Amino acid sequence: MLRRTALAAASILAAGALLLSACSGGAEPGPTSSGAPDPDASVAIRLVLEPGNLDIRQTAGSALDQILVDNVYQGLVGRTPEQEIVPVLAEDWTVSPDGLTYTFTLREGVTFHDGQELTPQDVVWSLTTRKNTPEWRDSARLANVTTVTADGQVVTLELAEPDSSLLWNLTGRAGIILKEGDTVDYSTAANGTGPFRLDQWRQGDSITFSRNDDYWGDPAQVAEVVFDYIPDNQAALNAALAGEVDVLTGFDANLKEQVEANGDFALELGQSTDKGTLAFNQTSGPLADQRVRQAIRQAIDHDAFIQSGASGETLYGPIPSLDPGYEDLSDVAPYDPEAARALLDEAGVDDLELTLTIPNFYATTIPQILVSNLNDVGITLEVKSVDFSTWLNDVYINQDYDLSFVLHTEARDFENWANPDYYFTYDNPEVQDLYAQSLAATDEAEAAELLAEAARIVSEDAAGDWLYNGASVVAVGTNITGMPSINVNERLNLAELAKSNG
Amino acid sequence: MIRYTLTRLALLLLGLLVASVLIFLSLRVLPGDVAQLIAGVNSTPAQIEAIRERLGLDQPLPVQYLDWIGGVLRGDLGSSLLTGSTVASELAEKAEVTVPLGILSLTIAVLFSVPLGVLSAVRRGRGDGTALSVGAQALAAVPVVWAGMMLVVVFAVWLGWLPAQGFPRAGWQDPAAAMRALILPALTIGIVEGAMLMRIVRSATLQAVGQDHVRTGAAKGLTRNAALVRHGLPDVGLSVITVLGLQVAGIIVGAVVIEQLFTLPGIGRMLVSDVGARDLPMVQGELLVLTGFVLIVGFVVDLVHRVIDPRQREAA
Repeated sequence: MLRRTALAAASILAAGALLLSACSGGAEPGPTSSGAPDPDASVAIRLVLEPGNLDIRQTAGSALDQILVDNVYQGLVGRTPEQEIVPVLAEDWTVSPDGLTYTFTLREGVTFHDGQELTPQDVVWSLTTRKNTPEWRDSARLANVTTVTADGQVVTLELAEPDSSLLWNLTGRAGIILKEGDTVDYSTAANGTGPFRLDQWRQGDSITFSRNDDYWGDPAQVAEVVFDYIPDNQAALNAALAGEVDVLTGFDANLKEQVEANGDFALELGQSTDKGTLAFNQTSGPLADQRVRQAIRQAIDHDAFIQSGASGETLYGPIPSLDPGYEDLSDVAPYDPEAARALLDEAGVDDLELTLTIPNFYATTIPQILVSNLNDVGITLEVKSVDFSTWLNDVYINQDYDLSFVLHTEARDFENWANPDYYFTYDNPEVQDLYAQSLAATDEAEAAELLAEAARIVSEDAAGDWLYNGASVVAVGTNITGMPSINVNERLNLAELAKSNG
Repeated sequence: MIRYTLTRLALLLLGLLVASVLIFLSLRVLPGDVAQLIAGVNSTPAQIEAIRERLGLDQPLPVQYLDWIGGVLRGDLGSSLLTGSTVASELAEKAEVTVPLGILSLTIAVLFSVPLGVLSAVRRGRGDGTALSVGAQALAAVPVVWAGMMLVVVFAVWLGWLPAQGFPRAGWQDPAAAMRALILPALTIGIVEGAMLMRIVRSATLQAVGQDHVRTGAAKGLTRNAALVRHGLPDVGLSVITVLGLQVAGIIVGAVVIEQLFTLPGIGRMLVSDVGARDLPMVQGELLVLTGFVLIVGFVVDLVHRVIDPRQREAA
């Protein structure tokens, strides 16, 4: 019953959106405010996906990384929105020429939110425990680390073999520094070193951060940030127009004119590592045939997804442009229904019927385009819209699907194409070998080149299809500055956020 | 009367027991579990299994049911697998939104449906009576979500009088703000439920007009309307009470939809997100409490009905 209600709700909302768009004017957004930042300001940010709980050690999901990493929890190193690796709790670091020893100099005068000082032992404990606790997220990312030791403020990581992804991994969950033996209830509270403290969580509604006045770096420019979880775009638009939120993330670029209508908001499109991934279960049946998979890829008009979302760019391989190893692979599977039909003939397949399993929170235009594109070349697509738990069970765990669509938001997640057990069901020793070589490379450029080579093979094998590389669509109040606009679904560093009264 | 009450009470308890089994089993049909959600994508089967064990999801179903129902009988509704907070505390917190929303909706529904329903019956056959009756039919057919959208567009977006969504973080510490947040959602449910109620009131009134004791009243010299008010309206009241009992269930369903639309942190929205998260102890507890509430309202309505309607007692 719930699903039917949600469906009905969605269609009615769509009707409402049409009505609203008919009523709104098309004024240009006003100039960005030049007023001075208000240090006492509270900024309300609309987010889409609420985390189930706040346990950063064990609970999966980008909803946690998005708000907690950088703002509340920090690592030795962090990353800029442009994906550059920068020092955070470490003042600087060096890597030995053989790539086996990483030496970090820990910053002095860092305190946790509970007032305790950060010690080198906390760092040693955090990284070692992460590595040795399989139940903690990303523990496998530290697999190459053999020892973590501290001498004064110097923390040293010894590796069994070179790992070109280690620094990057330390900018994420794997590198978060917690207090040794902390007794905080991680599922509802937090104790980090970041510029914001976790103040209040009203489940099903909002999470509030307040400025950490004892922060070791430049203090945050706002007193408070409130994350309002509003899943529906139309409700979010209403909230923005009624002045209840200052920033909308995860917005629908099609609503650009409405949100900019009164001049209080400007829409920003930033790059992201969101990959709209169409997985093919290629273990058996027609999809085991590369020609059939290639035919499906060439039957799909990738530009249609960009147009329907009014944002993003096309993507023809597993690596998006923000990540190392990116290469334009549009030549591998250009839109060509004629070629697709020929490939299907060649493979001796006709009247193919396939099922697409897709979580129900994605825009309905995605399955619609796929159904019509595939229908054009004689493939009947049945759409199975399920909730995320069902998707996890059927597709991710049991690999019981033909085609599946999910937005993979993680940056640098090529490893899944090198893992034959992953739900992609893609098993190519050459790709696995190239990926291993890329990890073992001590030179960044070389590592990226190897990744690019592997990615081309994945694309040529038609191991999956990439419908689009999403954009970060953020509507920002014109009195707000310092709001990140790149990859905000994954990380939302609010250190620079400011609000003026003007 | 005592025997009737006891029988009715036994039925209520049986209903609750059956409901608990149905709730428990129906949720087990859903694929997926909270352990998978916690582990998420990029997790290994071993990780998921470890979490499942920690949460007790690997136990056989009868054990899980007995665990749960045993807890309920001891007054423990269980707690969330995700956050560890108890069903009772979550329900208490969310009820601060949903209960006032329900009361306000019901009040709005009754306030406009009873006078207008009576009026449309009394004015039957004339222009205004027909207009009222057609209007009620049309309103009752309006989907709650659409009605809500329209109210938001007019009162929040265009006029800016009321908030479009959300509930103040201070909650009822700021009663004015809390009330303002509830007005549009309550109006939405109230109008749609009220329109249905209005049709009931209208037909009950029409029936009352034709009743012997109303006609007798009129024959004894009362005006037709005075006779209706004095002798007919108690009958109408009975119908309204019965229907109100049913409408409590309607309002709970309406709250599920409306709380989503207005992003109100109430029981309805909590229910939807807990189902999505497969946090089954939470969903079970929430559904059991809601079902119990509806059953108890039905029980009370039946008793009240019997007390105020002498005909039922004679029949027994």
